[in-house]
Amino acid sequence: MNPSLIRRLLLVSSLVLAGFLGATGLALDQAFRNSLDASRTQRMEALLYTLLAAASLEEEGLVVEPPLADARFRTLESGLYARILDDAGRAVWRSQSLMGQAWSGTGTLPPGEQRWAEGQAAGEAVLVLSYGLEWEDPAVGAGRFTVELAEALSLRQAELQAYRQGLWGWLLGAAAALLLAQVMIQRWGLAPLRRVAGELDAIRRGKRQSLDENYPRELLPLTQSLNRLLKAERERGTRYRQALADLAHSLKTPLAVLRSRVESDPDTPAPAEVIEQIERMDSSLQYHLGRASRAGRAGLGESSPAAPVITRLQRAIPMPADRDVRIDVHCQPEARFPGPEADLMELLGNLLDNAAKWAASRIRLTVDQHQGRQLTLVVEDDGPGIPDTLRAQVLERGIRGDQSRPGQGLGLAVVRDLVNDYEGDLTISQSPLGGASLRVRLPLRPGVLAAT
Amino acid sequence: MRVLVIEDETQLAAQVAERLQSEGYVVDLANDGRTGLHLAQDYPIDLAIVDLGLPELSGLELIRRLRADGSRLPVLVLTARHQWQDRVEGLEAGADDYLTKPFRMEELLARMNALLRRAAGFAHPVLIAGPLALDTRAKQASMEGQPVALTAFEYRVLEYLMHRPGQAVSKTELTEHLYPDEADRDSNVIEVFVRRLRQKLDPDGTLQPIQTQRGLGYALRPGLGGDGR
Repeated sequence: MNPSLIRRLLLVSSLVLAGFLGATGLALDQAFRNSLDASRTQRMEALLYTLLAAASLEEEGLVVEPPLADARFRTLESGLYARILDDAGRAVWRSQSLMGQAWSGTGTLPPGEQRWAEGQAAGEAVLVLSYGLEWEDPAVGAGRFTVELAEALSLRQAELQAYRQGLWGWLLGAAAALLLAQVMIQRWGLAPLRRVAGELDAIRRGKRQSLDENYPRELLPLTQSLNRLLKAERERGTRYRQALADLAHSLKTPLAVLRSRVESDPDTPAPAEVIEQIERMDSSLQYHLGRASRAGRAGLGESSPAAPVITRLQRAIPMPADRDVRIDVHCQPEARFPGPEADLMELLGNLLDNAAKWAASRIRLTVDQHQGRQLTLVVEDDGPGIPDTLRAQVLERGIRGDQSRPGQGLGLAVVRDLVNDYEGDLTISQSPLGGASLRVRLPLRPGVLAAT
Repeated sequence: MRVLVIEDETQLAAQVAERLQSEGYVVDLANDGRTGLHLAQDYPIDLAIVDLGLPELSGLELIRRLRADGSRLPVLVLTARHQWQDRVEGLEAGADDYLTKPFRMEELLARMNALLRRAAGFAHPVLIAGPLALDTRAKQASMEGQPVALTAFEYRVLEYLMHRPGQAVSKTELTEHLYPDEADRDSNVIEVFVRRLRQKLDPDGTLQPIQTQRGLGYALRPGLGGDGR
């Protein structure tokens, strides 16, 4: 099966969302880092100039007079360090924050030059700004010096860390909210599709004829096409059944002509096999066309009261001419058959007709409805009964329990097919009346029959 | 006995007609429902064989109209529709019997025979009027248990009379029901046949089973013993 539409849309949109939010996050990260670096450069340059502004040339070299501008210069291991080297690379001044700490120098610079480099000071990684200068003081003299300012890299790292945490937190929150919104939008947006599915199911169960006309514009081409298809299908079904009826009629009449032709000439009796073939054609026709026309009507919603159908049908059962056979009917007045009257007539007509052929004098028809769940039809007779060995065969099309009796052997096969169509079961047993007992059970609602 | 066959398949109709005629029936044919209804209403018909799928007027409608008219004409439906519902509806419309195509000619004849008997009030295929018995299946008459050899036409005259126990049957009625064409109808011929029939059934003239009622026609003698049932 294909993944569901919602899952599909969700998968794609979360991929897009991840890509988009990821790129946004990276871009913001990059921009923030750039601005951090730029502001650090500015800050360190400014600090350098502040140092220089407070510097004066003494005997021992260039020194910076306290108090220093930034408190961090005075705090031990604050992460901000400064020192001044003379021309020989000897430190002539160190900030208090560097007290007792090592600083592997990066070397002196010629006057006017500036250098950015990473190094190691007070046991941590630092970014070092070095600036070479020549200091002149008419009172003391002149000298070349290199001023070094170092800031711990961890400071920037901590700042970046805090920013990143905030940034990605928000981005993930936004992604989750967007995905949730997406799911809800999709559920709401796809609701008409679920409605279509529900209505199609109702159509299948025969509860409605077509889809609602009231659908969103985008779905209308689909629902309207489906409605046209359903209509065409119904019409086709009607035409099909009509064509089958016509076919039956147009084939049966020539068969009748053929049969009466071969039978009507007493001087040259027709070969038995010709008659037999005609009979076979007739029963095939009757069976298959009957079956095909039944398959057309499968509405589950329809049901018909059983009692009136039985009353009407009873008078139409052909009774044997050579003996009196009585039909006793015990029918629950509220019993309903889960389908059209025609099917019940076909079912009971064949069962009673079969019983009438075998019964000596009595047929009993019992119709029961158990708690609105299943309908049981039992037809019993006081004839010879059906031996165990024949019971399975009796239900087969065209096989007669006893070839000597009239009938085309179709009746019970039709019953069997109808019972299958209605998802019921058919059992043959011995009746207390002495003959066969044929029991049909039909579920009244879709589902399984109660256990026997 | 005069039978109306209403069937739009001319070939089948012709075959049925041929067979019925060979059995001694007088046959009228109609190819559509309207003509069939007209013939059934206006002609002295004893039984109608009706197809259901007829042009102009369906077989069911034809039967309904006939019954609405108060006609008690025995009607046998002969159709390709084999579903029980069709059968129930056909009988409810007023048909007396229902036979599906293709059918065995013998079956049709037996059903017709039974319908005619039932219409006359007989339950058994052997019609009995006192010492006179008529086996409608074997087409054999017997007097006091002794078979009487009758020609086909004599048999038909006797059969017609026996189907109407206690009723006077005019010569015109007899000719209408026993002769297919008007041109052949001659009441003198009927007199000849009835005279021969009397001689064969009652050679010594003691029973006089067939009486002549002046101005009315022939009738089986009521005091013959049987009540016909």
